[in-house]
Amino acid sequence: MSQSQVQSQSQSQSPSASGSGQIDPISQGIQDLYLESYAFTTSAAIVGSVDRKVFVLLRDGRNLFGILRTFDQYANLVLQDTVERIYLPDNKYSEADRGVFLIRGENVVMLGEIDIDKEDLPLEKWNKTNNFKDAEEYLKNKNNEKIGKEVNISKKMGKIGLTSDFTKTDLY
Amino acid sequence: MLPLYLLTSAKGQPILVELKSGETVNGNLVNCDSWMNLTLDNCIKVDPSGEVFLKLKEIYIRGNQIKYLRMSNAVIDQLKEQQMSNNNAGYNNSYDHRNRRGNSRGQGRRYNSGGRGGYRGGRTQQQPVSSHQQHQQQQQPPQQQQQQHNSVAY
Repeated sequence: MSQSQVQSQSQSQSPSASGSGQIDPISQGIQDLYLESYAFTTSAAIVGSVDRKVFVLLRDGRNLFGILRTFDQYANLVLQDTVERIYLPDNKYSEADRGVFLIRGENVVMLGEIDIDKEDLPLEKWNKTNNFKDAEEYLKNKNNEKIGKEVNISKKMGKIGLTSDFTKTDLY
Repeated sequence: MLPLYLLTSAKGQPILVELKSGETVNGNLVNCDSWMNLTLDNCIKVDPSGEVFLKLKEIYIRGNQIKYLRMSNAVIDQLKEQQMSNNNAGYNNSYDHRNRRGNSRGQGRRYNSGGRGGYRGGRTQQQPVSSHQQHQQQQQPPQQQQQQHNSVAY
């Protein structure tokens, strides 16, 4: 492949080339150097969140806040200095330190980066309670209630020939 | 550094595994593979309600049943240190090559662009041609190594 062919190819691929009429021959293709100028759609999309504070919702309904250290193609995640938070009724919440997590990717519902300057704003009107065990108990009861309800619905649907896609592990 | 790599480096250390069913297993990690299948020893298994405890000498966990693993902060720190020392070792090795090369030549050459050096022979006019050629041959392997190091570093 000749030199000019290579150049024209890199031009058409580089995000910077689109739009601007004149292209500086030196800075052209410089955008290609930055990963963030590519729109990843697979688990590579979270590459920009590495070493930042993130929020992870698990399929069992757990809320985890921690620093994303690494991930792989399955979206297996490693979180450091993780805090688990349970939201309680009457504007209360409880937190527990959990340390290092290695989460198997298939249990992740969503992950989002947190702006550490603004993360405490929504909690200003909430009261932190220190009794995490009670909070866990509340969550367990709530989940059991939900399971009972959904199982009832599934049974009724089954009787009239319908199916329900509820599973006990999906409590988010 | 991938998550599974961290897991392999946690071998021998105590970890906590929670399964999708809600059961938790505490124990020392003995082995793991690329499917995240695990073997632990000296384990305590707790049922989903958190009330029934079972002490087991050894347990095998199929990877796809895992929800998450928890481990101590030291695992990450240890891995970081290990990687740092590996990097340093690599750097020192190449530094050695540079020194050795300079000594064998008898005079330092600061500019090493690698590849085809244009100035070779320019400064060694006083030496007999045959010995100069020998020098060149001796020199080449270290220079290649140097080049490799450069391509990694930048």
